[in-house]
Amino acid sequence: MQEEKLRLEDLLESSQSSNVDDDRINNVAIIGAGIMGQGIAQTVAGMGLEVILVEIDADKLESAKAQLTETIDREIKRWAMTKSDKKAIFSRIKWETDPNAVKDCEIIIEAVQEDFDLKVSIFKQLDKIANAEAIFISNTSTLSLTKISESISRSSKVIGMHFLNPVPKIPMVELVKSLHTSNETVLKVKEFASRIGKTPVEVYEYPGFITTRAIVPLINEAMHMLLEGIATAKDIDTALKLGYNFQYGPLEMADAMGLDEVLTWMETLYKTLGEPRYRPNPMIRKLVRERKLGKKTGEGIFKYDEHGNKIN
Amino acid sequence: MKVLVLNSGSSSIKYQFIDTDTKIALAKGLVDRIGMAGAVLSHQRYDGNNIKIAGEILDHQIAVEYVLGVMLSKNHGVIDDKKDIDAVGHRVVHGGETFSGSVFVTDEVVKVLQDNIELAPLHNPPNIKGIQACQRILPDTPQCGTFDTAFHSQMPPKSYLYGIPYELYKKHKIRRYGFHGTSHLYVSNRAAELLGKDIKDLKIITAHLGNGCSIAAVKNGKSMDTSMGFTPLEGLLMGTRSGDLDPSLILYIMGKEGLTLGEANTLLNKHSGLIGISGESSDMREILSAVKDNQQRAKWAFEIFTYRIKKYIGAYAAAMGGVDAVVFTGGIGENAKEVREEVCKEMEYMGIELDELKNQNAEEIISKDNSNVKVMRIPTNEELVIALDTAKIVSEMNK
Repeated sequence: MQEEKLRLEDLLESSQSSNVDDDRINNVAIIGAGIMGQGIAQTVAGMGLEVILVEIDADKLESAKAQLTETIDREIKRWAMTKSDKKAIFSRIKWETDPNAVKDCEIIIEAVQEDFDLKVSIFKQLDKIANAEAIFISNTSTLSLTKISESISRSSKVIGMHFLNPVPKIPMVELVKSLHTSNETVLKVKEFASRIGKTPVEVYEYPGFITTRAIVPLINEAMHMLLEGIATAKDIDTALKLGYNFQYGPLEMADAMGLDEVLTWMETLYKTLGEPRYRPNPMIRKLVRERKLGKKTGEGIFKYDEHGNKIN
Repeated sequence: MKVLVLNSGSSSIKYQFIDTDTKIALAKGLVDRIGMAGAVLSHQRYDGNNIKIAGEILDHQIAVEYVLGVMLSKNHGVIDDKKDIDAVGHRVVHGGETFSGSVFVTDEVVKVLQDNIELAPLHNPPNIKGIQACQRILPDTPQCGTFDTAFHSQMPPKSYLYGIPYELYKKHKIRRYGFHGTSHLYVSNRAAELLGKDIKDLKIITAHLGNGCSIAAVKNGKSMDTSMGFTPLEGLLMGTRSGDLDPSLILYIMGKEGLTLGEANTLLNKHSGLIGISGESSDMREILSAVKDNQQRAKWAFEIFTYRIKKYIGAYAAAMGGVDAVVFTGGIGENAKEVREEVCKEMEYMGIELDELKNQNAEEIISKDNSNVKVMRIPTNEELVIALDTAKIVSEMNK
């Protein structure tokens, strides 16, 4: 059989117009290949869009590739995904260390650590590289989008998209509008959210939005109970899981989120809202000081084996 | 009449261009990996002329443009002008309760298909995309839809209702729909032809065994019952689908393994069946070779697969009050003589006597001459049914 690289125009004398919908988002860049970046990449690629995952540290990029492979293999092993899902996802992710790779993307999602200066410097750099129409999305859970967006020229095209971990499994995303976000940007990003299988919830910019603001005091309170010796960590989680039909208890949830992350949220909320209910419990400070950060380090409030399973 | 038959999947379009007067496919092919890197069209003309075209095929509309492009091309084509396509026939998976036969596609029909998306979330959206692409590219060409569910739409309530509160049927249309209808229709009619009898006088059991497997009781030319149900998951064991099981074990597994609804769906649809039991493959050819190598789990997979079919044949013979013919079709049904042999083993008591040699030689009638029940192996041709239905609808409209 002959195999030719032909285009439609080569076959026809006059080509028919290909009315591809120009508004459609097909290329998404994600900056930062940590847990969130990997999860967003898996979700977006899983829905058939092309993804460029940028991580300037080549070693981190390599280990992210290995981690995502491991995450998906674990899902295949528990029958929740298939090998062809994995193949399709990896075929749509390009792994890059060069930020210039994002220049043709329609959406750029920043998923680096929760550090204002870092996020601003990344957006400033990308503002010069990216297509003028590209929408910039920040995955911040507590920082001011208005302030972030004011640092660059395209402030009307900046919006927050607060994904929750594990991204592929949480069917919701908070869309956070800054003072400058245009309606057009909101509409486009809403459509994008639906396309990647997430129900968008619109939130006005305010520290912690809905999810972080509500969960942080719950985690803090659970830690207070633990510290005061009211019950064991396991029993606190069990009581809330069974009593209120939570899928996870607040303490195992904090371990899964990373105690350093949770501490940062608590500090931000305490600093910006001033209420004592957000003041970090001494126990979380101690655990973070000891680098017992939860599931990712093998120990936090609970202990974990090398596969991340809780050791009872 | 020359009809373009399209079978649009989520990332592929299969097509055949059929002359309904001669029943010959003038061209056929496949556009694969739509919307992905490495998209390709493979086209084959009736005279064996072949070509593969790689391109940036972003969506179904561009895919249909490619199909037309290659059909019109000087070196590989079969038509000189778009007008040479008299009609387009689309395969549509789910017609819901609305359609009991093929229909001329109007905006209202598309609207009903959209309403049925919930019933076939994986299949109906690409089917609709294929229709809409043709509406834009071939606006003056009549289009028809043929439904996988249509042939089963006349099943009696005792076959299609489940033993759950009746309100759920009224509220959410939960009932047995059945699938592969076009194939069951084609092979049952072909069986009647081979027997030289009117299908209205026959009781036929048709087993479509391919990637998905279903079996139907065709009494007097109508589908009386079929093994696939509300979705194509019920019934026979399949390559990666479980088929029949105790519904409460789904809840039990979800609890034990911590699976969500979507994950349980993946478990039953993608990790079960032949691959789940054998741990080897979802492909019957590989299962058969593993059976030869004496691999126990592959043997079980083969035994469960064939045993289920045997049980359904018994059940449907009882349901119809007898059986005149058993038909095997689909990739496995047509090609795996071991499956046909195992299914028909020790069925002499009900008049099924397979002729080993005819089975080996893959003849059309593979039972012994004196077998009361005729066993047949009939290659299915769903595209031809779609083309003929389309031609019939269009020529009646032109009268």
